[in-house]
Amino acid sequence: MQDKDVKRSADYVVGQEKRLAEIITQMDILPLVKPVLQAGADSVRITDERENTIWSSGAGAVEDSIEISMPLYLEGEVVGLLHVTAPFTQESRLRRLAELLLESLRIILVNNLKMMLTSEVHTTVISQSYDELLEINRRLSVSERRYRDLAENLEIKVAERTEELKRAHSRLLQQEKMASIGQLAAGVAHEINNPLGFISSNLQTMGKYVARFIAMLEFYRTALADRVDNVELVESARRKWQELKIDMVRIDAVDLVSQSLEGAERVKKIVSNLKGFSHVEDVEQFPADLNSEIDKTLTVLSHEISDDTEIIRNYEPLPDFLCNPALLCQVFLNLILNALQLHKKGLRLEITTLSDGKNILLTFADNGPGIPENIRNRVFEPFYTTKDVGSGTGMGLTVAYDIVTGYGGTIDVNCPEGGGSTFSIVLPIIRGK
Amino acid sequence: MIEYDEFDKRMVLKLVYYGPALSGKTTNLLQLHDLLAREGRGDLMVLDTADDRTLFFDLLPFFLVAPSGLKIKIKVYTVPGQVRHDATRKAVLQRADGVAFIADSQLTQSCNNVESFENLEKNLAFVGLDAGTIPLVIQFNKRDLPDILPEAEIRQTWSPTGIPIRMASALNGIGVIDTFATLAGIAYDHLDLRYRLNVDHGLDRSEFLRKLTASTED
Repeated sequence: MQDKDVKRSADYVVGQEKRLAEIITQMDILPLVKPVLQAGADSVRITDERENTIWSSGAGAVEDSIEISMPLYLEGEVVGLLHVTAPFTQESRLRRLAELLLESLRIILVNNLKMMLTSEVHTTVISQSYDELLEINRRLSVSERRYRDLAENLEIKVAERTEELKRAHSRLLQQEKMASIGQLAAGVAHEINNPLGFISSNLQTMGKYVARFIAMLEFYRTALADRVDNVELVESARRKWQELKIDMVRIDAVDLVSQSLEGAERVKKIVSNLKGFSHVEDVEQFPADLNSEIDKTLTVLSHEISDDTEIIRNYEPLPDFLCNPALLCQVFLNLILNALQLHKKGLRLEITTLSDGKNILLTFADNGPGIPENIRNRVFEPFYTTKDVGSGTGMGLTVAYDIVTGYGGTIDVNCPEGGGSTFSIVLPIIRGK
Repeated sequence: MIEYDEFDKRMVLKLVYYGPALSGKTTNLLQLHDLLAREGRGDLMVLDTADDRTLFFDLLPFFLVAPSGLKIKIKVYTVPGQVRHDATRKAVLQRADGVAFIADSQLTQSCNNVESFENLEKNLAFVGLDAGTIPLVIQFNKRDLPDILPEAEIRQTWSPTGIPIRMASALNGIGVIDTFATLAGIAYDHLDLRYRLNVDHGLDRSEFLRKLTASTED
């Protein structure tokens, strides 16, 4: 119903033409025509401009009668004709009556048209204003609904945003922690490097000196053995040699020095790995070999790796990956730590790396208890942890996820039938950025 | 165009006198009614006026027949100028074939002229007409009053737009027919392009204008 009204108001155009029959009605004509007929006219007929009869009254053509026809004007145009038939004898009187009738019709016509136009414009304007009000009403209710929704959901929205902020904050904390650990490690490494330098250098010199002592001792011993004139001295020297276990000391001293040197060498390696792992100096990204980055991570974790843990490295040569290696080391660290912490006895961790030219694929497969299927898709969620309260932050895998996706890569976890979990990382070698 | 009936050989056009309140739109129509010959022109219909302010609109119809038999009716309307009658203006402006904008030359009315012209552009867009192409004439009325915008200034402002400018004193009947003939002429050019009034109907521009503007003195 409402639609129909709107349509009608849209269809109507101010100025649309009206037909004569639409403007003038029988009720308008009848009172005017009656006196004319009473005054002696035989018939009165009104036609449109094409001579189609709109209205007629009285008998048709009568013998000895004359028809008077006059045009009816509206808006400067002939819109109809008035025909009056009258007995021949009455002609002049009826012509004047007909003229009067014509003028009356014209006035009624103009007034009717005026009334119709007025009411039509009025209706158009009213319905247009109504349409506009409807539109305003519609917009208001839309906006009201939006505000109501907003008010209703405000608490939920606030909770969501708070949660997001908490996550972001805790991620920042985690990264901050990693950064300070790295800085500490780098600082310690630097402090250790200096003394370690002179320790190994001195040890090397010490080794040479020990060799000289031994050579000198041998020289004395050989020279003394030929002194048959002084048997007593020879005998006491031999006893002293045995008493001081010089034979054993001679061999052991060399071993001790070389073992100490080996130890210092190991300390040096650990320190340099520690420095590499922390990457404190790296601000920019640069091409890195992920195999060696994994190795560095394993070195740093060596104290966490118990003797019965088996680490299998299935490395294939990898193309350089443009990244901030410290971030990827953090990913590796979190994955490896997870495996180490979850499954302490008889752990077998298989690390596989390969590349198909477009992507680098890394898998970390352990023989641990695996992850139950119902929680598998939650492990990357922030704060999700199965560890005891206090022992895990629930952030490790989230951080890993963020870093990997930050490089346009993906990280997934699968748990094969036979147990264990396999984390797979795919990193695109060429990135959009 | 209000309607075009090819079968009936009938064309009904609409020209609209637009402008701010009291700028003389109705006076223009009254003068046209008085100055132009009765033949071919209908009566001026003033609809529902209170206190001499046009509430609905005024209508002055013209009627002519082309040599081909094409009947052409031209309905010339005024709109109410007062701001609050915007809905009526929109209704009257629908399907207009041309607009005469009647501006008030008085310095004090410049603001109203601008506002009304902006309203015209807005409402043309509302009824789906292109303000850039619709036949348009601007009449600066009330040239007989003191404190009016100088003609040179008006021409300097408007000549870059290419819109014809006419000076008038409608109360004294000056410039009224000129404005109407200018608008009718441009409207004819537009119609001729589409309906080939000259070629198909034997009605050329000067004959069209002569029929519309034949004055009572001729």
